[in-house]
Amino acid sequence: MSDWMRRALQARPELAAELYRRGMFDAEEKKEFLSAQSISLPPLPLGPVQFATLLADGDTQLAARVVLRNLIRPNELAWLDRLLRFQKPNDKRDELARIVERALEGRKGNARNCR
Amino acid sequence: MPEIAVETTATALVNSVVKNLCALAARAWAKRWIITFTAPTGVGKTTAVDYAEKVLTFDHQVIRCKQVTTRYTLLQALALAPGEKWNTHGRNWMRASDLYDRAVERIRQRPYLLLVDEGDRLRLDCFEILRDFWDDAKLPMLLVGNEVLTEKLNRQHERLFRRIRVRFAQPRLREADLRKVLEFMGYTVADDEFNLVWTLVGGSPGFAEALLENANEIAASRGVKRGIEALEGAVQFFPTLKTAA
Repeated sequence: MSDWMRRALQARPELAAELYRRGMFDAEEKKEFLSAQSISLPPLPLGPVQFATLLADGDTQLAARVVLRNLIRPNELAWLDRLLRFQKPNDKRDELARIVERALEGRKGNARNCR
Repeated sequence: MPEIAVETTATALVNSVVKNLCALAARAWAKRWIITFTAPTGVGKTTAVDYAEKVLTFDHQVIRCKQVTTRYTLLQALALAPGEKWNTHGRNWMRASDLYDRAVERIRQRPYLLLVDEGDRLRLDCFEILRDFWDDAKLPMLLVGNEVLTEKLNRQHERLFRRIRVRFAQPRLREADLRKVLEFMGYTVADDEFNLVWTLVGGSPGFAEALLENANEIAASRGVKRGIEALEGAVQFFPTLKTAA
């Protein structure tokens, strides 16, 4: 099981289902995901603020991957940026905030190397 | 604190945060001081800075700090004209020190107030540059940030800390103020909803907005209007608030 799969499975079920819905996993991972977790996909997708809130409060590395893989819409990105500012600063959160800021500016990649 | 005229417009609510920030900006400008304005996250500092940027009647410049703010981006913001690029090579290339000298010259010729939003996110070298600007050009500054700003300056930047004349700590909004802000933001909140919001987030309109928006989305997904149940459901999305409650 890949690291991302493990992180997604440990995330809140609503978030995991939303990531599944947004195409975070390839075909093989999808099978693995469904067999590993007997989740029922909610009938409606999460709203932008709900999605951003779950990402902001969840696994930082998973959130960073979601941003870098462009699985998040601009309005959700703006909310994520806002919600990250409400949290107490730490290194991981700061790194995610950098990635989000760069994504808002239309840039991608590792914030640490391309500063 | 000097009184300054702040107009209330239909597009802005001038609450205590905005009033205090504008008054401190006027004071920093008039006395050529460095002043810090600290307040908890979500109180409305950035909104107040946005408002001040529009209404202040004297020359001023706003810098909005990001995680990627470096001394070079700071120098570029202060030394270069809008749209001008920093030539790092070629015939007219400039060193960082050239940019610094240019910024100092600009300030000497036409002083302005520097407003730094989210100053708590500035790095050590940026604070050192700000101190140099004050020493070389007496650049008045209003540094805005959360509680981390004071802590950071106190622990790591003693030389800048000693040059600060006023350290203002803005308290959270009171209950009535929060209600006014939420109404101004367009949220019609029932009494039971407001009580829950107040218990959870206190005087932080930013947090309250995030909570209410989550509740709105939960209610919309169920095809109903937002109520106390949706709000209680929204709290599940904020583990930090749940423990606080």
